[in-house]
Amino acid sequence: MSTTYRAIDWNRQKRRYDLTLVVLVALVFLSFMGVSLLRSTHITAETLLIRGSAVTALLLLHVILAIGPLARFDPRFLPLLYNRRHLGVTMFFLALVHSVFATVQFHALGDESPLVSVLTAYRQDYNVFASGGFQPAHFPFEPFGAAALVILFLMAATSHDFWLRNLGAGFWKALHLGVYAAYGLLLVHVAFGALQSERSPAYPLVLGLGFVVIAGLHLAAARKEARLDRAELGAEQDGFISVCRASEVREGRGRVVMARGQRVALFRQQARIFATSNVCRHQGGPVGEGQIVDGCITCPWHGWNYQPEDGCSPPPFQEVLETYNIRVIAGHVWLKATANPLGTRCAGSLVDDR
Amino acid sequence: MNDDFYIGYLEKAPSSLGRWTRRVVLALGVLVVGLAAMLAARQTPAEPGTFEFGIQRTFEGVLHESPLPMLQSVSSNGVTTHYLLVGAGKYGLPAFARGHDGQRVRFHGSLIQKGDNVMLELNDEKSFTPLGPAASDNAPGREVIGEISITGELVDTKCYFGVMRPATGKIHRACAVRCLSGGVPPGLLVRQGNDASVVILLAGLNGRPLSYEVEWAARRVRATGKLKSQGAHLVLEVARLSLVDDERD
Ligand code: HEM
Ligand code: FES
Repeated sequence: MSTTYRAIDWNRQKRRYDLTLVVLVALVFLSFMGVSLLRSTHITAETLLIRGSAVTALLLLHVILAIGPLARFDPRFLPLLYNRRHLGVTMFFLALVHSVFATVQFHALGDESPLVSVLTAYRQDYNVFASGGFQPAHFPFEPFGAAALVILFLMAATSHDFWLRNLGAGFWKALHLGVYAAYGLLLVHVAFGALQSERSPAYPLVLGLGFVVIAGLHLAAARKEARLDRAELGAEQDGFISVCRASEVREGRGRVVMARGQRVALFRQQARIFATSNVCRHQGGPVGEGQIVDGCITCPWHGWNYQPEDGCSPPPFQEVLETYNIRVIAGHVWLKATANPLGTRCAGSLVDDR
Repeated sequence: MNDDFYIGYLEKAPSSLGRWTRRVVLALGVLVVGLAAMLAARQTPAEPGTFEFGIQRTFEGVLHESPLPMLQSVSSNGVTTHYLLVGAGKYGLPAFARGHDGQRVRFHGSLIQKGDNVMLELNDEKSFTPLGPAASDNAPGREVIGEISITGELVDTKCYFGVMRPATGKIHRACAVRCLSGGVPPGLLVRQGNDASVVILLAGLNGRPLSYEVEWAARRVRATGKLKSQGAHLVLEVARLSLVDDERD
């Protein structure tokens, strides 16, 4: 277990990322408010704020959800993925502004505690067995927003790497998959809420298209991975499996292969091929989609480094990836299907295809 | 070698990648800003209304508690106005103003107005001053219009007359439940075509407040009873009130 955190500086790229984010969020917010004022001259400031923050947050959530699969199709989207947690935290604060103002505006200063009222204001309509059956037009929609806010809060609060370490990568990852639950809850929140009041078809259209795009991108990315997972295993000899041609692993680059149901990252450095686990110790990024930079395997997601020969991060860092034994024979890469114990050095295997 | 590979902790990304990223971000920005503007442009416009929030003026007149709390006030040029009365927040007539039926009173309050429907928020207990019994010619002045049966949306009059804009439909339903539950007079919003609408205040029979289901707020209800006018307000003394299941009338 590592005791250090990567002190990633607030460098130029990071500053530009955040500046761009702030400017874009401000532009979206202002364009919604500005057009609202033109369209609906009698609208109150509170309504503007409630709607503006909600629409901005939901649009941002779509961007957040789209970046992941996009980066799997085209690595050029990786710069957007790199600081995705900044998008997430920003989205949470927008959602918080919306939630607080909506709760105060619609529930405060009455004969019931606002937090209770959010859940119970028209509780009769929870009863889907009442006459008329389930009616989305009447079913309470605020609780779905509140549940989404709780999830978004937990994710924003644990977004720092400190929590990744202390909660354990598996639990952390599971918690952060909660973003899909939050997205689902918000679809219901909006479908049972604003869509029951607004008459323009633009609202259901945008919400539906957004869902189709997000679901489509994820399905396509999953299909791509499944294809990789199904890729034919080659011959097997003394526990070594033929996984690909050596020429498919380019100098300085990585390649992901399957060996007995696990993904393994191959890298070629100075005419040698090395193999490590494909799962980054940071947030489980696909190491094999990275490259070798300054002699180190570099994860495409956030740039964590590992030495090809032993899978160890360069000092002072202490993360380690499993290594796998490799043989290159007659232009084919053969991989030992079981990983070495952590920290095992492997010299890699020389490629003689020059 | 590492031509297009992005590493976030380095000072500068490769320039070809920088160009691509700028283009993608620009396209994404235009798309998202455009969507936000389009959604804003497709909103149902809020209806007009006034709430003089934070502004208090002095009002004086005869207080009638039933069938709905109103202040009957005569201006210096002899025009009589009937103000519907509510409390601060999501409440009806506050306790300090009760028990003065038929008396002259003076208080500071804030004006709420939508068209001819005027309402006062009594938000200053200290200013409330009973001034004794009203002169005998100050009858409430209600005129019977007739028996009607009519369908509309159950709204809370405080929000609808101007405190919240918009103040109808599902998005506002919880708020309307809170207001009605706190004693804000219920109204029946009846629309005609796209633009015209009228609010009929709902009262009980024989001067009693209406007893009804507050969770019917923002839903369509059918009310039957005797319609009267009181100043510029229409008041229905409701004999029967029921939920209309078919939302389209
Ligand atoms: C306690 C939590 C929440 C409450 C009480 C709440 C309440 C509301 C209410 C009353 C509306 C209708 C407002 C109007 O149209 O004027 C609304 C709309 C909306 N809410 Fe929430 N909400 C909550 C959480 C959230 C969260 C976490 C999100 C995340 C983005 C969200 C997204 C939206 C969206 C996109 C709309 C539609 C905006 C529009 O009408 O244009 N809500 N919510
Ligand atoms: S997952 Fe973050 S650097 Fe690999």
